[in-house]
Amino acid sequence: MTTTTSPGAKLERIIGTVLRVGVGASTVLLAAGIALFFWSGAPLAATLLNAGIVILLATPVARVVVSVVQYVNERDWTFTALTAIVLVELLVSVVAALVFHRRL
Amino acid sequence: MPVVTPSLALIVFLAGTVAGGLGALLGLGGGIFLVPFLNLGMRFPFQAAAAISLTTVIATSSSVSAGRAGKQLINIRLGMLLEVATAAGSLLGAATAMFLAPATVQRLFGVATIAVAIVMLTRLQRRNVLDPSTDPGVLGGRFFDDESGRDVAYRVKRVPFALGASFVAGNLSSLLGIGGGFIKVPVLNAWCGVPMRAAAATSAFMIGVTATAGAVIYYGQGQLEPALAAVAVLGVQIGSWGGMRFGGKASVKWLKLMMAAVLLIISGLMFARAR
Repeated sequence: MTTTTSPGAKLERIIGTVLRVGVGASTVLLAAGIALFFWSGAPLAATLLNAGIVILLATPVARVVVSVVQYVNERDWTFTALTAIVLVELLVSVVAALVFHRRL
Repeated sequence: MPVVTPSLALIVFLAGTVAGGLGALLGLGGGIFLVPFLNLGMRFPFQAAAAISLTTVIATSSSVSAGRAGKQLINIRLGMLLEVATAAGSLLGAATAMFLAPATVQRLFGVATIAVAIVMLTRLQRRNVLDPSTDPGVLGGRFFDDESGRDVAYRVKRVPFALGASFVAGNLSSLLGIGGGFIKVPVLNAWCGVPMRAAAATSAFMIGVTATAGAVIYYGQGQLEPALAAVAVLGVQIGSWGGMRFGGKASVKWLKLMMAAVLLIISGLMFARAR
């Protein structure tokens, strides 16, 4: 496997972009939200804060999703399967826990 | 739910800064310190502390990895493989809670972290890096080493052991409100042949996924105070920026000493909490 334009380097670029966009968007929303929160406590503050948190929590999931897609594009079926398993495990643990806790 | 005052916000912001710095330097999300600090020190309910901690871990993971992407320090294939075990571990976290008392888990970890710290200390001089012409194999990697100023390669050894450690890290994640970096980094470095910087970068990359399930659960239950999560995340941005800006050229020996010191402190914390 060559190192210069390897598929791994491309995936690293794509993941880097996803993480930068996720972190950037959530940081801007959270900073605006916290400024409003201490300034006036306006309802808009809560909306901005929650939007920032949702984007933050969605970023690692988005990172796994783009990895699955990229491994499919590369026809790397071993890693397609592995990343798909991670994605399923993530979704199952969230859903299972939400259902479980709602019963309590 | 804790009442948000400007002084509390400042304290949580500073805690986030420390977590971000640890993440950039050592690949830790800081949850292992943040949870006892908020729970025991600041008298937050455990769930509220764990919720903020897991959110902080995700922010650290994403911002450190975003800053690092493109430098080939993050071993994405190894990270993805170990995430299978980590995510399975967090899936089964609730089962562990039923079988083991928290004090037992904490004592076990007290002993384990001391052992790992000693191993780190005895291997201070040993480097895992190989000549760049070496074939790194399917899971190994190559990167440019700032300290020596040359390209280096490494091979990954004892993959089943790394999978087991990742499973345990995931298992503890939602139970303790942590990302488990304090398990992954020493195991990858001391046993699996991964150089310190690559181990830290790969751990930082993984902990976001480890913490996501727990964080979503606590957020869905309304345990996460949004304003405090926000200041923690903003602190993380500053801390991880500082850690990457000033830590890139820190010597590996110094990083390992710092890691060993962190492990000994964790061990003390575990024993103190288990009493």
